[in-house]
Amino acid sequence: MGVVHGQEMVLNIGPQHPATHGVLRLQVKTDGEVISEITPYLGYLHRCFEKHCENVSYEQVIPFTDRCDYLASMTMNFGYVVAMEQLMDIKVNDRVEYIRVIMAELQRIASHLLAIGVFGLDLGAFTPFLHMLRDRERIIDLFEMTCGARLLYNYMWVGGLSHDLPKGFVEATLNFLDYFEPKVDEFENLLGHNKIFVERTADIGIMPAEVAINYGVTGPNLRASGVNWDLRKDNPYSVYSKLDFNVPIGKGIKGTVGDSWDRFYVRLQEIRESVKIVRQAIDQLPKDGDVHQSMPKKIRPPKGSIYSRTESPRGDLGYYIESDGSDTPYRLKMRSPAFTALGVLNEIAGGWLMSDVLAILGSLDIVLGEIDR
Amino acid sequence: MSEDLQALIDEAVKKALAGDDDAINGIEDRVTRSKAKAALVKAKRAQSKAVDENSDSEPSEEQPATENSENIILKIAKILEGKFSGCIDGEVHSDFIQLKPENWFEIAKFLKEDPDTYFDSLQCNTGFDLGDGMLESRYNLHSMKHLHSIEIRIKVNIDNPDIPSVESIWRVADWFERETYDMFGINFTGHRDLRRILLPEDWDGWPLRKDYEEQETYHGIVVPKVKEGWE
Repeated sequence: MGVVHGQEMVLNIGPQHPATHGVLRLQVKTDGEVISEITPYLGYLHRCFEKHCENVSYEQVIPFTDRCDYLASMTMNFGYVVAMEQLMDIKVNDRVEYIRVIMAELQRIASHLLAIGVFGLDLGAFTPFLHMLRDRERIIDLFEMTCGARLLYNYMWVGGLSHDLPKGFVEATLNFLDYFEPKVDEFENLLGHNKIFVERTADIGIMPAEVAINYGVTGPNLRASGVNWDLRKDNPYSVYSKLDFNVPIGKGIKGTVGDSWDRFYVRLQEIRESVKIVRQAIDQLPKDGDVHQSMPKKIRPPKGSIYSRTESPRGDLGYYIESDGSDTPYRLKMRSPAFTALGVLNEIAGGWLMSDVLAILGSLDIVLGEIDR
Repeated sequence: MSEDLQALIDEAVKKALAGDDDAINGIEDRVTRSKAKAALVKAKRAQSKAVDENSDSEPSEEQPATENSENIILKIAKILEGKFSGCIDGEVHSDFIQLKPENWFEIAKFLKEDPDTYFDSLQCNTGFDLGDGMLESRYNLHSMKHLHSIEIRIKVNIDNPDIPSVESIWRVADWFERETYDMFGINFTGHRDLRRILLPEDWDGWPLRKDYEEQETYHGIVVPKVKEGWE
């Protein structure tokens, strides 16, 4: 008895499709319900940021970084200013560093909430999405309180911050954390142990560690495959070395290590760790220190290049900056973690059912703004 | 563009060619400055073609390297020189390794598989327009096992920009190289699927090269130009 093959059909998912998290076209070859090959077509959101950056001054690059990963603008700012400060050899004071860490971790919570919520939504779970968006809203309110913007902050500047923390921010943040911490357990029960959700994600889209490393997958996706790699621990920048937190990795509780459920669960646990970090950072936050103290009047780095990496909610965010001694970058490259995460899709999603492919895509947590730049 | 501006640009380019970069960097208006820079790259390219000399002048780059990374780069440069003699292009630098494109594929394979180097992760691949008719591809490698990283640079001539593809060694290079090809037109030989990735298939030119000029129309749609005074 041979295997009966139906006729292969080529099908386009997107570019306008809610499950593609932006404008992305997946050209899939299907044999019945089984997907044999996926070819992603990108670039629908390409806004030539790297070219623009060559024509603006270094401080004007920061709003462009906002608009790359519009769901985690703070960490995009953070990566850029860390790279610039390394290039220019600027040391900022501790108050700035702690405020940056607080913002970055709040942003990580907000980004992961959206990632998990939308992941559930992709699988048909509508309620958890609303719960998570409700709490994400409170974080965005905190950001609005700090810098006036809700999504695109332009908050971290080279050598400092645009504003110091407003009055009442610390209390508001602590209030939020007290409210939010029990909610994380609620999310875990609501979504993580939901029978349908587990059936749809456990043992689906397994990404072995070697595949993940070879494809340059980083961040929660890599950690879900059981690799203990977090730049905040392994290559500490800012004040992360002074903070105590764990790096959750995938253990295959519901299925196999590196499956879609693990990618969900690692993000959920990272939310808990981020809450821990924010609490510690607020605890250790120095009372005084001018946030504009180390800001250079004119940003003109010396000739040279730097490749600097930071941990964004999606993984290793790299900035390659080449300076020719003038006040505009000669070349600026953003190494986007979501770009590499999408690259692995064909490898891990080939051979699964159509509905699983969307679950796997959702579990990778891509943001097209960052992929296309 | 007014004649005054053109004169200013010409003046600045002339000075820059004589070795005085400050004339260009000192131009206040940003648009004019970027135009001057583009003119400089063009002038240099014309010069290098006219003289037809091998341009050895490499922009000297000094960057504080930590002691540890310096050690590893020099160490690996020595290993490579012993294994693939003559693979290093020019002198040995302390913060990156400049390789010749010829046997890059074998070197990459060695770097990934040798237990001492074991660069299992390609962090980043960047294209680069050096001016002077040269393009460069830069690779940031990292080892998850030994926790060391290096930067590899490979220079090619703009008229013949062939670099062996390492896409089959690090699969992540597949898309990275497609992006570099898309933006700089560096031809990665041996890549199994070298297409444009961010731009449309039928787009003209290589946008991140310094002398790039947008095409006039695309499928009958006028491509908007950067306006004077755009900030």
